[in-house]
Amino acid sequence: MKRFLSITLALTMSMTMLTACAQKPAESQPASSAAETSSAASKPVTITHWYWADNSDYSAKMQEMVKDFNATNKSNITVVAQEYPWDGGAYSENLFTAAMGGGGPDTAAWKLTSTPLFTSNKLLANLDNYIANWKDKDDIDPSLYNTMKQAGGSDSIYVMPWNTQVLYVYYRPSMFKAAGVSVPKTYDEFLEACKKLTRDTDGDGKIDVYGFGMRGAKGGQEPWGSFVWARGGDFENLTTPEAIAGMQDFIDLYKNGYAPKTAPTDGFNEIIANFKSGKTAMTIHHIGSSKDMVKTFGDDVAAFPFPAGKKQWTSMGDTENVIFEKCQNKDAAFEWLAYLATGKGQETWCVTTGNVPVSKRVQQMDEFQNNEFMKVSIEGQFSAGIFPILDTTTEWINTTWPNTVASALSGKTSAADAMKTLQEGLYGKK
Amino acid sequence: MGSQLKNIAAPDFKEVIGLLHKKTTIWPYLLIAPALIVILAVVFVPAVNAILMSFQSYDLRRPSQIGFIGLENYMEVFQDSLFWSSLVRTALWVIFGVGFQFIFGFILALLLNRKFKGRGIARSISLIPWVTPGVLIGLMWRWIYDGSYGVLNDILLRLHLIQDKIPYLAQESTSFPSVVVTIIWQGIPFFALMLMAGLQGVPNELYEAADIDGANKLQQLFRVTIPSIKNTIYVTTLLRIIWVANSVDVIFNMTGGGPAYSSQTLSVYIFNKANSLNLGYSSAMSILLTLLLLLVAVPYLKNMFKNQEA
Repeated sequence: MKRFLSITLALTMSMTMLTACAQKPAESQPASSAAETSSAASKPVTITHWYWADNSDYSAKMQEMVKDFNATNKSNITVVAQEYPWDGGAYSENLFTAAMGGGGPDTAAWKLTSTPLFTSNKLLANLDNYIANWKDKDDIDPSLYNTMKQAGGSDSIYVMPWNTQVLYVYYRPSMFKAAGVSVPKTYDEFLEACKKLTRDTDGDGKIDVYGFGMRGAKGGQEPWGSFVWARGGDFENLTTPEAIAGMQDFIDLYKNGYAPKTAPTDGFNEIIANFKSGKTAMTIHHIGSSKDMVKTFGDDVAAFPFPAGKKQWTSMGDTENVIFEKCQNKDAAFEWLAYLATGKGQETWCVTTGNVPVSKRVQQMDEFQNNEFMKVSIEGQFSAGIFPILDTTTEWINTTWPNTVASALSGKTSAADAMKTLQEGLYGKK
Repeated sequence: MGSQLKNIAAPDFKEVIGLLHKKTTIWPYLLIAPALIVILAVVFVPAVNAILMSFQSYDLRRPSQIGFIGLENYMEVFQDSLFWSSLVRTALWVIFGVGFQFIFGFILALLLNRKFKGRGIARSISLIPWVTPGVLIGLMWRWIYDGSYGVLNDILLRLHLIQDKIPYLAQESTSFPSVVVTIIWQGIPFFALMLMAGLQGVPNELYEAADIDGANKLQQLFRVTIPSIKNTIYVTTLLRIIWVANSVDVIFNMTGGGPAYSSQTLSVYIFNKANSLNLGYSSAMSILLTLLLLLVAVPYLKNMFKNQEA
């Protein structure tokens, strides 16, 4: 055994020596590469970027933008954009898992709700200095920078604005006309419209058109929030009588048959498919769907802001970009983010998706000034807000909200009990 | 340096070979070492890590609070009504899922073991559900069950078996049975394949002797076939119990455990909790699930070996 060990040791030593031999030339590299370091600007840099796209057109457009940036930037930067599905928020979870595991991209498309999770784990790069020294800094409204700061829970900016989307109600004018309904101006009129628009159009005793395309799966908390606020509630305390009344309205729309039976599990794809197939007369989404809707219906689609009740609130969807702390070339990464925020990328993306630009210059373009859906977005902007950004928010959105609301819609849980569960899910048990 | 190494390594290498030939006891250890190292790295280390995590507050949303908390996670799990409802659902998931997989798999194995024209093609086709990825199966069945555009509703309406479309996955009463049907569909070929292999090992003489003794087909099935493939049935069933209890892909892609947690099994609950980054809590539930599976598997295997010896 002793001999065996001595032989093994000898072999190990010889291997170490071989390794040492191989390492020597590498150690001498810094001197020879000094010149290369000094010309870092022209040194090729690759930035990996993660994003999601709501449809194949947007996906293709993002790849086009990347090509354009790669061809036009003067810093020899190559962006490699990798698409991942949004999947009701699973995108952010996957991004977090990848980043915590030491992988993931250099930059990524972003939602504000994820910020505390990432900043508390020190995964994001601080953008304060980059923004302070950025020539286009003033092209973005200062209030947006403040929102980005609030999301991170500090005085620093970790998130670069990109575009916003305000939720509003899409409707089919032809269906309104057939049902004798005019565009609702108040919350009560809206509830009444849901009822009147639910119709058996062929007389076979079955409902063919539902008044409201309700989203009960992940992401449905955004339109649901408008009901809570319309009755006078808010997100600070979901157990107030006003907030419960809003929940009760939401439940009643389903129980009374004004929304499809599949509503508890309907997500983005389902509400859009139902609206496009004529199964629903109204549904709630943002301007990102407008081009697709117009392609399907031509003039027979329009929009109005979610009407005011005692109060008015609509969800401000947001999309930003971030740089990860582990990124080795943050200067290059910021150049890419700047291209998206105020450069050609901002223009191309917002014209394609119809999203509200954050760049003041782009906002003034004709495409945005003369767009009917953009007008509704801008009209709804004053009542637009976001959900409380807490470390519980992601789980609340992905699990607590859809399951609790599904239970309430089925009648198993009362509106008051459901709101108590939602309150505890968001703020913890007291 | 190269020649220097040559001078050292050449005689030593011969000595190593000689030594290894003499000390044959070293060989088995050396041969299993790579596999052992891999198993230690990918099974043992994560398992120990999960056990340690289950005693910690390990919530990545609150990294500053990560630390040892003793049995708190376990206490919390035992007070969690969702844990208990998921546990009961897991038992039903396994009993109905594996039970029906076995019954239909056995019938399929008996059919495919007979000689008929096109048997090879039939055998290949019957394997499709098993070779299809679970994620794809989940998505495919979600569309089949879709309450608005699903093909199942369409067929049943055309056959006048239902009057109105049923939102199978959107109702608490139908979502769980729907996912159980899917897992049964997925697992039938595995049982069929394993049992068919067992059936092919049953000597024909046994059936001839049974014929001479006047046994009918049913008696042959229960007195000859089943006892002959008993061990295959034991092993296959045990494997499926463990796999089905641990499976997440089908349910996750069909319902995510909803609506209102109505299709959430324990493994899906663990997955959802881990996805929401509460790794300490989900580890505690994982350990409990493992212990429960061991409670089933150990007596089961003991009984199998006892029967083998008998």
